[in-house]
Amino acid sequence: MRNLMTLALLSASLASAQTTLTVVTHDSFDVDKKLVAQFEATNHARVRFVKAGDAGEMLNRLILTRAAPIGDVVYGLDNTLLPRAQAAGILTPYRSPLASNIPAAHRLGDGTLLNTVDLGYVALNYDKAAFQKSGLALPTSLAQLSEPAYARLTVVESPATSSTGLAFLLALNHQLGAQGAIQWYRTARQNGMKVTRGWSEAYDKEFSLYGGKYPIVLSYASSPAAEVFYSEGKLKDAPTANLLLPGSTFLQLEGVGVLKGTKQPALARRFVDFMLSAPVQRDFPNRMWVYPSIPGTPLSDVWKFAQKPDVTAPSTAELQQGQALTDTWVQQVLRR
Amino acid sequence: MNPRRRSGLLLALPALLFLAAFLLLPLLRVLREGGLRLGVWADPYFLGRLGWTLTQALLTTVLAAVLGGPLAYLLSRYRLPGQDLLLRVLLLPFVTPTLVAALGLSSLFGPHGLTHLDLSDTPALLILGNLFFNLPLMVRLAHAGFVRVPPMLVGAARSLGASGARAAWEVAVPLALPGVLAGMVLVFLYSALSFGLPLVLGGERYGTLEVEIYTLTAYELRLPEASALILGQLVFTVAAILLYTRLNRAVSGVALARALPRPRGGPALTLYLLTAVTLLICFGPLLAVALRSVLGPAGLTTGFWSGLLDPDSDPSLGLMLGNTLRFGLYTLAAALLVGGLHALGAARARGRTLDVLSLLPLMVSPISLSVGYLLLYPALRAEVPLLIAAYTLLAYPLITRSLLPALRAVPPRLLEASRSLGASGLEAWRTVTLPLVLPALRGGAALALATVLGEFAATLVLTRPEWSTLSTGIYERLGRPGAQNLGEACALATLLMLLALLCFTVLDGGKGEVT
Repeated sequence: MRNLMTLALLSASLASAQTTLTVVTHDSFDVDKKLVAQFEATNHARVRFVKAGDAGEMLNRLILTRAAPIGDVVYGLDNTLLPRAQAAGILTPYRSPLASNIPAAHRLGDGTLLNTVDLGYVALNYDKAAFQKSGLALPTSLAQLSEPAYARLTVVESPATSSTGLAFLLALNHQLGAQGAIQWYRTARQNGMKVTRGWSEAYDKEFSLYGGKYPIVLSYASSPAAEVFYSEGKLKDAPTANLLLPGSTFLQLEGVGVLKGTKQPALARRFVDFMLSAPVQRDFPNRMWVYPSIPGTPLSDVWKFAQKPDVTAPSTAELQQGQALTDTWVQQVLRR
Repeated sequence: MNPRRRSGLLLALPALLFLAAFLLLPLLRVLREGGLRLGVWADPYFLGRLGWTLTQALLTTVLAAVLGGPLAYLLSRYRLPGQDLLLRVLLLPFVTPTLVAALGLSSLFGPHGLTHLDLSDTPALLILGNLFFNLPLMVRLAHAGFVRVPPMLVGAARSLGASGARAAWEVAVPLALPGVLAGMVLVFLYSALSFGLPLVLGGERYGTLEVEIYTLTAYELRLPEASALILGQLVFTVAAILLYTRLNRAVSGVALARALPRPRGGPALTLYLLTAVTLLICFGPLLAVALRSVLGPAGLTTGFWSGLLDPDSDPSLGLMLGNTLRFGLYTLAAALLVGGLHALGAARARGRTLDVLSLLPLMVSPISLSVGYLLLYPALRAEVPLLIAAYTLLAYPLITRSLLPALRAVPPRLLEASRSLGASGLEAWRTVTLPLVLPALRGGAALALATVLGEFAATLVLTRPEWSTLSTGIYERLGRPGAQNLGEACALATLLMLLALLCFTVLDGGKGEVT
């Protein structure tokens, strides 16, 4: 079966007369190949995925190349990046008819440039066994987390180089205000909080579950479910859990949109619809560990280990502060 | 221009065109896009980064010379069981993706490390990482220098009553010094310009200039500042490269194969001790990664390896292996052509310009290049030829660097003799020159292939899912939570090392030398 599919893909790539749709994605993108093959068959087109780094890098590459766009559709820009994408004018408006199912609170901006495909909650996780062994009680507030006893147990990602890091800074900003967020960070860092550049360094290297020394890590509220899923049935319960301190979580919305300058606007729009269609919405939660944006899409059993924190998407005004906030953070926290 | 010079330049022309298209023009394009904001150099923060970049590179170089120099000398004088194998596996760190090296190092020197020595959050981890990648280079470069020292000179010193250490210091070292110093300059350059390692191991506190350039380019889109940093970085790299080519040209003599005695007493002790330290630094992290590929949270397991073989896993192992080999071989062919012509041209022209030019790809920031490619070659942005060109740019200097000294060492009289016996120029080259330089060519090819196997495609060009290689597979898994993903990443890394070892054995045959 797989061989047949490879063959089909190969012959499709040889038939140069066929239209090709280029979809730019971030490195974490993953979708069932069979669904893509169906889309290709229905539309008599070939879909070519291009990975352009993580979401932040991808946006910068799209901005740099806006005069000669590298693709027709982009998937993976989120609510933290939308203000910059909007200012750079790299997207062309399209609102999918399927987007009317998305709750207003989960729309990206006014919903005209990007259609929300999925949502995820950036949240602190902790290593259950490590905490049990230490006998230390879990912290209950952000203020407590920045104290020496807990700050030296915590690893987070840098807002300047990581989307989870930026999300956390925006959450702090929402809770404590811009000044308060920077002050919190400086205190926590002075008290021993570790800052890494990206998620995998924090999780695979510094998190105590995988040999590091920090039992609290900035990740996603769905990570405990992923831990169970990737243990291939060996784990009955998650080895990690969420540490949902008030003001520490952030609702990240990821979307798909049509790139300005596409030569195939109609096909590009159909791909946007495809990403919101029921089969795709059902497929990706267990691949990318995010929630589908269309309510009522069933989730597999393992998602019971994930939590939906009680948090709403940040306002446009707050999101627009992201860049300035990061610059301040770089100047006043990182380079001090 | 004299005719030798002209024909040399003509030979190197394809390589020069390649350099112009994939190095010079992309960089100029980035400069044109962003301009230059030299004011960034007035910022004490960036000056501090420059200081740290030079300090850590210098520290690495000194440590590598102190450990690698004596080891290389002893290896050139005595027979160590498994010596060929040792020199061959010493290339393994080259293929290791940086995140894997970092994982291995923290498995050894992390908070719960096997050595019970916690070096995390200290600069020591970055220096150790640098040594992991560069100590092998130092040993091999110094070894190539020492085997060129005629053994009877050292023997003469000994028979005149000098101790072994004194004979080494007063006879062998001065003779091999240019080669050893050239190696040190190369280690310095590699450590100063390396990108992945300080990115992962340096953390926020011990990041280097190259990391700052990456952040400014890829995340903050501040090209004018990034360009100013690149320009500043060029100043010290050009200085180092000029020094390197001057030293490297002084390397002379032909490596001689000879029967070596077994070491006894002091030399034996030193040799075994240095070998052990080198093995610990260069293979400890790799073994730690291999161990993690069979060690799950609940003890020994085959689950990570069988997870890779699972027919449902996507991308499939076959695809990753196939791509890794395919891209590696394409690049090797291109690198042999470009690098070979560059070396031939440089050897013939005898000038230093071509020599220096072949080192250019080592000193530019790959991240800026990737931006240049994006802007310059819109049609090629996600096509295989651009991927191969980008890989070739990284790999071909290694072939030129290996081949050039060997070409220079070919005695001109041999060629003249064959010509006077009636051989045509091409024939003389095939029957005389080629056999003499073949070991160097094979060694360079092994090193070039190694560089490509471990390269992470996304840093240079836009990638496509169907281009998955072993190294992108590793990064992909490290980007997801769960013990299974981490274990599979370690299994893939182990597989990559085995594959690299196989390539070295076939290409290098253990006899090739790398300079």
